Amino acid sequence: MMIPGSISNRMRTLRFMNGEMSQAELGQRIGLTRQTIAAIEAGKYSPSLEAAFRIAQVFNVPLGEVFQWDAKAASLEAS
Amino acid sequence: MSYREKIAWLALIAMAVAYVPYFLLVARGPYPWEPLPHLHPLGLFALVSIARMLILGAGYLYLRVGSPKEDRPPRDERDRAIEHRSLSAAYYVLIAGMILVGCIMPFNSTGWTIVNAAIFWIVAAEVVHYSAVVASYRLQAA
Repeated sequence: MMIPGSISNRMRTLRFMNGEMSQAELGQRIGLTRQTIAAIEAGKYSPSLEAAFRIAQVFNVPLGEVFQWDAKAASLEAS
Repeated sequence: MSYREKIAWLALIAMAVAYVPYFLLVARGPYPWEPLPHLHPLGLFALVSIARMLILGAGYLYLRVGSPKEDRPPRDERDRAIEHRSLSAAYYVLIAGMILVGCIMPFNSTGWTIVNAAIFWIVAAEVVHYSAVVASYRLQAA
């Protein structure tokens, strides 16, 4: 059975901490459109691993600080 | 709404305007058309296809003029994923239609019925393609 869970991210917070960087500016720096950045932030689109690494590089943080695996659903089901 | 979603809407509108009247006319029958191999009836199809091209051309022009360059970025990975998924869905519709037209219809239909059925399934596949594009952008809109 597939392990349940979902991906969350801190992109909005990290943008704020990096001088209120706009979605368009972040997108421009990693080759994605503003709409794609918005979809990633809203958790409606999971980026490729390469794009995820690029995002982390822009914010100068490890990948795990941008994207987190939320296994809450899994532990809730187990309990 | 992103530029690519607008383009997909435009393609759907152009197809609806051009092909709905065509298929309504065809479905009404009987047609005063000549039987195969005369190709005059294809003139009507050519006419609606030209109408579709004109609508698309005018629409593209309108969208290009109305959208600044920064609103028309090159495709990114999400655009390509949406395109790939939409084309896959359209492919299955096209294959199903072609099996029906090529393997089943020859046993119970003839001439222009088969030709128009083939055209219908090609248009249906296109409709599925652009509908899937629009639906994907809508579902992923933040």
